[in-house]
Amino acid sequence: MIIFVLLNDTEMNIENTQSQMRKGVLEYCILSIIKRSEAYPGDIIDEMKDAGLQLLEGTLYPLLNRLKNAGILSYRWVESTSGPPRKYFHLTKKGDEFYILLQATWNELAMGVETLTRSRGESHENQSE
Amino acid sequence: MKINQNRIHMKKVININFQGQVIAIEETAYEILKQYIGSLKAYFSREEGGDEIVNDIECRIAELFGNRLKHGINCITDEDVKSIIDSIGRPQDFDSDYEETVQAGQESSSSQPGTGSSGAPKSDEAWLAGSERQSLHRNANDRIIGGVCSGLAHYFKTDPVWIRLLFVLFFGFLFWIYIVLWIILKPKMLESNVSKRLYRNPNDRFIGGVCGGIAAYFRIDSWIPRLLFLVPLLLNMIGMISIFPLNRIFDKVGFNWNINSSLVVVYVVLWAIIPVAKTVKQKLEMMGEEDYIRSIREKVTDNVASSKNRTANEESLSQSKEKENVYHAEVPGGRGSTTGMEEMPPEPPLSEHRTAAVSPPERSGCLNTLVIFLKIIFFSVIGIFLLVLVGLLVALLVTGTHLSPLKSLFIDPGYETSLLFTALGLLFLVPIIGVVTWIIRRAMKAKSRPAIGIVASVLWIVGLVISGVLGARIADKFSVESSSERAVVVMPVNSTKMYVEMLPYGEDYAEFKSGYGPGTNIDELPYLTINEDSLLFDKINLLIGKSNDSLFHVRVISAIHGTDLRSAKADITQFSYEIVQKDSLLLLPEFLSVPVQQGFRNQSITVEISVPAGKTIEMSEALRDYKDNRPPAVVRKRIKNYSRNTNYLPVDISEEGEVFMTFSTDSI
Repeated sequence: MIIFVLLNDTEMNIENTQSQMRKGVLEYCILSIIKRSEAYPGDIIDEMKDAGLQLLEGTLYPLLNRLKNAGILSYRWVESTSGPPRKYFHLTKKGDEFYILLQATWNELAMGVETLTRSRGESHENQSE
Repeated sequence: MKINQNRIHMKKVININFQGQVIAIEETAYEILKQYIGSLKAYFSREEGGDEIVNDIECRIAELFGNRLKHGINCITDEDVKSIIDSIGRPQDFDSDYEETVQAGQESSSSQPGTGSSGAPKSDEAWLAGSERQSLHRNANDRIIGGVCSGLAHYFKTDPVWIRLLFVLFFGFLFWIYIVLWIILKPKMLESNVSKRLYRNPNDRFIGGVCGGIAAYFRIDSWIPRLLFLVPLLLNMIGMISIFPLNRIFDKVGFNWNINSSLVVVYVVLWAIIPVAKTVKQKLEMMGEEDYIRSIREKVTDNVASSKNRTANEESLSQSKEKENVYHAEVPGGRGSTTGMEEMPPEPPLSEHRTAAVSPPERSGCLNTLVIFLKIIFFSVIGIFLLVLVGLLVALLVTGTHLSPLKSLFIDPGYETSLLFTALGLLFLVPIIGVVTWIIRRAMKAKSRPAIGIVASVLWIVGLVISGVLGARIADKFSVESSSERAVVVMPVNSTKMYVEMLPYGEDYAEFKSGYGPGTNIDELPYLTINEDSLLFDKINLLIGKSNDSLFHVRVISAIHGTDLRSAKADITQFSYEIVQKDSLLLLPEFLSVPVQQGFRNQSITVEISVPAGKTIEMSEALRDYKDNRPPAVVRKRIKNYSRNTNYLPVDISEEGEVFMTFSTDSI
């Protein structure tokens, strides 16, 4: 019983960290997709999937809604042949600024993480060699 | 996912208008979809713009359906809906995190799309159990008052119902704990972490679905708990009929209330603390997955059977009335084959259903609590009211003959009697017939018809008005209070002591044993002589006073109520109360006797004995009650006026011996 609980705890920690890592990146990913071209949620999901980042659609809609409410995104209705009209999202002026800030932060972060992990990895490999 | 597919040969397919799309969908799939959207709606209702989010998701689902239908599939099946739900995610998946299934998805994104529905929630639950166990929160997700019980249950990994029950049972001291916890703990959205929970079953309910839920929980037939709830009630009814009930009803308040009312209370409490299973997930928790799917299947096959009957009769009916387009598809082989689908007016948009179905959880918690509270009050009042009605009716039926002389005490024959019977009939029979029809219609699952209820209520109110009129007429008989006094001639007594003894009534008399309810100043009902020509009242008051000369004096003051003074005076003259003196022995009759036509008008007799100085009076123990009686107001007033003139002083009673009490005015 105790072992079970402990196991659960460690599992939880990993998952928690993983999801924490993903959460921050998610908005950035979505904004970058929209920044490239207007997109409706189906496109976003597909692009994310193609990039190997799977996300629950159910979490995408509230996120888009929040970003829209924050004035970062705006949308227009486009008629669709295969179903109901779609919402095509695009960045607002505020959204552009927001995106640039995020981009800067991400580059900084990615570079830092890259250098940090690579040097570790190399030193590790060196040791093993 | 489908169990025993080879046993199902037919599935009902309906056309729905979903976000402007006409979608052919299996009814079971539609049911799942409806529940799912309901759960989304409930989940997102907390968020700003929640409706819009749900609407977006609906659009997406409609689009996915459209894509599927384009690929040559005839209709949307359970699997289609489930895989779409899996890709969109259930509310319980959202809280954990945005990309909860990334890992699983990457590993097996294409290989096994079907297993997600059964596999994912379990791991999810385990995960949640681990993550939120450490801290105690109030559960904002599942609450009746403050979510404290639910939070505790989450902490201990039990069903909240048990914790709630504990709090209800030990209301006294746990109440403060509850309040303290309510203040201390922070609210948090918690997902249930037990796989099986007690819910009220909305699909198998008679009143609140409590018994249905209990049955589902213990996997028994739902008539078993129902019977358990009803048996004591039925036994009690039988008991009431077989035993002469009138004095039981009036003497002990309530006819074995202890069992019946406690059962009613238990039911109401359970009703309040057990949540109703609304979403698919909750229904799964209530029944267990397999049972739930089986129950859906049974429902579907039922519908198929009934729709068969309908199609037989359909020729004469105009087809436009039918909103559902029902056709039978061979499920095992016939998915690919063409099935004739007529164009039918589609069902009203799904969104309309939903707003009606899921609106309760959107109310604020406070209002919800209030509603539940009002519900409890309402139904307990109704329940108690009905029990009393039924009890009284049974009592009236059984004891009608016993009560008829009682009736004549207050009610004149003729007009008032017909008023009485009309009022009784309307007041008792209408609700009972109404409830019985309601239960029968409920059992038959007939549509409710408000007209019946309105007619019944109007009739009942008419009954109420008539009884009000009758009550006013009866009250009118007590509007005037009158009294008259006469002096009884007492021969001079030689000895220094006078004995007062009761003169027992010589004939047989029938007795009304019933005590009378509070609020009236009638202590005991009168007695009736066997030949039923006179009424005997024992409302005789005895007063001892001080004589202002050397003789014993006895006065008799008669008092009566009436509609007017003239009739009251006329009635008083008919009183028969003769005091007999035998030397030093004074005999007071046991009863005041009046003609039976007078009825009950609060007749009373006050006997005042004035004792001269130096002499004593000894009173029989039998007269103690008379001594303790309090004369009516009109008599007290008369005595007060009298004593003002004659220095009347009440005498202290000194009790000596067992048989006789001695009174003496010497001590004064």
